[in-house]
Amino acid sequence: MTAQTEREAKPEVAGPAGKAEKVDFKMVTFSLAGKEYGVDIMSVKEIAKASRFTYVPNASTFVRGVYNLRGDIISVIDLRIFFHLPAERKEDEALESLIILKIDEHVFGVIVDAIDKVVGIASSSIQPPHPIFGDINVKYIKGIIENGGKLYIILDVEKIFAPERAEEAPKPGTLEARGPATGIAAADTEGTSGGDISASFVKETLAAFRGFHVTSLNETWFRSRFAEWKNERKDADLQLREESEADAFLEGFWSPCTGTLWDEGYAAEVEKALPPIEAKSINVWNPGCGKGYETWSLACVMRKRYPDARIKIWANDSDLLAISMAPNMVFPESIPDYYIPFTTKGRNGLVFIQAVRDSIFFEFHDVMNGNTLPPLDLVLCRDMLSFVAPIDQRRLMGDFIDKLKPKGMALCGANERLGEGWSAAATGAVAAFRKDQ
Amino acid sequence: MRVEYINPFVEAAFNVLREVLQSDVKRGELYLKSTSMPVMGVAAIVGLAGDVEGRVLFDMDRPTALKIASAMNQEELKDFDDLVKATITELANMITAQAVTKLHDLGFRFDLTPPAIFTGENMEVSNADVEALIVPMETGHGKIEINVAIRERA
Repeated sequence: MTAQTEREAKPEVAGPAGKAEKVDFKMVTFSLAGKEYGVDIMSVKEIAKASRFTYVPNASTFVRGVYNLRGDIISVIDLRIFFHLPAERKEDEALESLIILKIDEHVFGVIVDAIDKVVGIASSSIQPPHPIFGDINVKYIKGIIENGGKLYIILDVEKIFAPERAEEAPKPGTLEARGPATGIAAADTEGTSGGDISASFVKETLAAFRGFHVTSLNETWFRSRFAEWKNERKDADLQLREESEADAFLEGFWSPCTGTLWDEGYAAEVEKALPPIEAKSINVWNPGCGKGYETWSLACVMRKRYPDARIKIWANDSDLLAISMAPNMVFPESIPDYYIPFTTKGRNGLVFIQAVRDSIFFEFHDVMNGNTLPPLDLVLCRDMLSFVAPIDQRRLMGDFIDKLKPKGMALCGANERLGEGWSAAATGAVAAFRKDQ
Repeated sequence: MRVEYINPFVEAAFNVLREVLQSDVKRGELYLKSTSMPVMGVAAIVGLAGDVEGRVLFDMDRPTALKIASAMNQEELKDFDDLVKATITELANMITAQAVTKLHDLGFRFDLTPPAIFTGENMEVSNADVEALIVPMETGHGKIEINVAIRERA
């Protein structure tokens, strides 16, 4: 018997008080991308080694397939892919370590790097999750425990595998308590205290005329613009009476080079803001790409910034007319020199070279209908979030956080600020935010 | 859904319907939908596989199916029998095949599954996380809705 199996037979006792503490929680420990994790043994049915899972079409990327466990068909989930951790692709025949979990009546197989042993601990010594451990979203972590000199992250499997709908359903309390609603509430109180209710009327008309919603995302811009507006209008009525006035109000909102190829200066700024990425393939999501100018610009900037990587950009818009033109963009006139190396002469003018074309998927897609995307390195979403309802803004920003890899970055509109869960990496013409760990 | 896939389906549906029905066909406004949707009564489905995965669903009500089958067979069919079902299945096959051929010419590789047909009252199709493009087609015999859900394999 090796030392390890001996330990397995006799669960260890841990906790600050050592042996004095009672063991009332046992967990199965395993490793994922070099870190140690544990799951409650009560939800583990068994462990197994298996391979050659049956592929299931139309399933999420983290579902490796189904597996026949002595007559029961179970679905197999790759935890590393689920958590956007690096996963080595083994050969088809190679065995994977599988923990079979039983949650309520459902049985799942979960692929991990290696299964270690059973550890007994005192549940009172479990400490709450701390953000610095996080390759993994804190909401899936039950706690942290130290045992035998190792730190184990205890996963809350019930939360991970609970039916997704229950988890994603907006909780009425939280939605009202935080997020965009607070932005509006805060602005309102400030407006009234300053003896100025016009601001909230302007907000309402912006939403009614142009679908522009003022929330914490663009509050800063709105305040300064409103002050400006007051100056411009002097004593005249501050209210927006018609759509053209709403457009006039929003004039300064748009990011640089909206609706055209990015000019040299802006392209260079974006290039500078992009993080160093060593991965061989880079995935980008560009929701609300409109006619596609920004997507093409970004594709060129990225080819310059990461010449060796395989870049894939999913660009979508729900405006069929705009997006239909995007894939076959032709430039009869001259274009900024920046793009010359990426274009070639076509029949009707300059077109982008095949390598650039191959890196972009233009899709007719409504982001509110759910987004199936692989783990992302970058999200480019300029001036689009401000034009969806506050509740959808939050949902989309949550989507960004869920889909981005650790250290992933989002570029938003010049006058938009991502709040909670993000830290600014660059502001100014190019607003870049890094996902918090 | 990728922009490149849209036109081939719209064109194929338009061409095939006009040809087999020998009558005028009008295309309605395209839109996207992701919630579960009621099936009008007769639904033919063709699966797609290859670089992409997905399905194409042809949805119409019974009287429309009967009239279309009658027109295609050039005889008056009164009962919803095997001949009618086979005819509608074939129509689905023709449209999808023509679309896939067009896509093939553009460099996209798809395979088709044999079509299947579902009939019944109060049916509903739901796969919540799949977004479908709806192409409504107004024929002289009634309305057909073509419901295309395709996505790139990750």
